Amino acid sequence: MLILLDVVTTAAILFIVSAGLLAIFGVLKIINFAHGAWLTVGAYCAVVAARLGLNPWAALPLAFAVGAALGTVAEWLIIRPLYRRPLDAILATWGLGIVIGQLITLAFGRDVQITPNLLGGTVALFGLDYSLYRLFAVLAAVLIGGSCAALLEGTRLGLKARAVIMNEALARALGIDTARVRLATFAIGAGLSALAGVLLTPLTSVDPNMGVAWLIGAFMLVMVAGGSFAALAVACLVFGAVQVLVSTFVSPILGSISVAVLAAVVLRISPRGFARA
Amino acid sequence: MLDETAPHAGTPPPLQLRDVTSGYGAAPVLHGVSLSVAPGEIVALLGKNGMGKTTLLKTALGILPLKGGTVLVGGTASAGLSPARLVALGVGYAPQEQPLFPDLTVRDNLRLALRSDRDLAAGLDHAASSFPFLRDRLRQRAGTLSGGEQKMLILARALMMRPRLLLVDEISEGLQPSVVARIAAILRAERAERGTAMLVVEQNLDFALGVADRWAVLKRGEIDDAGPSGPAMRGRILEHLSI
Repeated sequence: MLILLDVVTTAAILFIVSAGLLAIFGVLKIINFAHGAWLTVGAYCAVVAARLGLNPWAALPLAFAVGAALGTVAEWLIIRPLYRRPLDAILATWGLGIVIGQLITLAFGRDVQITPNLLGGTVALFGLDYSLYRLFAVLAAVLIGGSCAALLEGTRLGLKARAVIMNEALARALGIDTARVRLATFAIGAGLSALAGVLLTPLTSVDPNMGVAWLIGAFMLVMVAGGSFAALAVACLVFGAVQVLVSTFVSPILGSISVAVLAAVVLRISPRGFARA
Repeated sequence: MLDETAPHAGTPPPLQLRDVTSGYGAAPVLHGVSLSVAPGEIVALLGKNGMGKTTLLKTALGILPLKGGTVLVGGTASAGLSPARLVALGVGYAPQEQPLFPDLTVRDNLRLALRSDRDLAAGLDHAASSFPFLRDRLRQRAGTLSGGEQKMLILARALMMRPRLLLVDEISEGLQPSVVARIAAILRAERAERGTAMLVVEQNLDFALGVADRWAVLKRGEIDDAGPSGPAMRGRILEHLSI
């Protein structure tokens, strides 16, 4: 039972970390390599909220707003000219991530920051004392996934985003302002990434480079998911299971490596990943 | 050359092309094309494949950039305006290439023609009045409709935009005669009820002459001939279209 709980909660954390990256990749077809920097920005929003004496939960909306605002500026100044040059977009977003990391270092230093626990303690479940926060992560992942699904399926912005994903030329011909859809999508994706940064603070140390380690895993998951939130959920469950099982029964180091190997195998067998599997 | 817009009480023509050069990449497809569509007028643009008909429509809608000349939409120069802005000015488009979102429902395909969901109920009623089958198919994926039904959905979506100028690209292609006649009747009714001007790109000569007031033949990116519609024009047009 402990293994099952670990698999589900690990999958939830992976989903939270990857959702913002997937939102941007799904609509804009570019990999935002500044994703790790946005995670870090979000985590530092938790640091700022703590220094301001705010309720720790206030960091969540603060991080989303800051991430979305920075995303808006970044899309407008850096990303917009590069949609037809995806390789240049990778370089530009990678560079942007480095700049954001350095700015955070200038502002806060290199030291590990302490943030208040969002939700501490354990809860008795199936005869086990299990981390309450890891269980909350499952709820957070469901809320994030449900919100993204509701946005995509239940709003005009979502409909326009799906139209842009499916056939951007036709969407433009019907009068859809595709530039505005892209801007809104990038802002929401960046906001989600920053939100994820806050949610990671109880699980990882907060320092200027914290996002880099999470970026690689999120990148592999998004490649395997192929642009669909449902496929991302499946990918997170499969990869989370492999990571937990290998880490538990073989070695924690091999657990991390096994995810990369599995991603390569999945993409070798099915180049479009789980989205069309 | 075709620029025979009749004066229409001071109303600017919904579409005016003056000496337009346009195309894909560096190579122009249209060479100095001039063409007007007056308010409430239907003009058929004829020509063989590859002569620039669709290119002209895409240029009029701002999808392709002008390389020379002027496009006026309702008297407003379209240079630098996005398709979104031109659609807001009253241009509707029924495209030929990849014209639907096949994985979206019929309802969502129609929703995309509207600027707000507040207009959805009225818009769907309007679409269903011309195409009653749509009312029962709103939840069906557009890609699962038959070829004729898909064409009618394309036209219904374009008409839901309530355009002042409708650009129609080979809507009759591959359809059985009864469906073609139905579409022709709907286009004529739209013009009669709302005064919608139309530029109809066609290869089906009977359909084109049946709906249009005037015609023009595009050949190698230039207007080769033009004239008023009517059965007597058939032979003259066929001379241009023959291999």
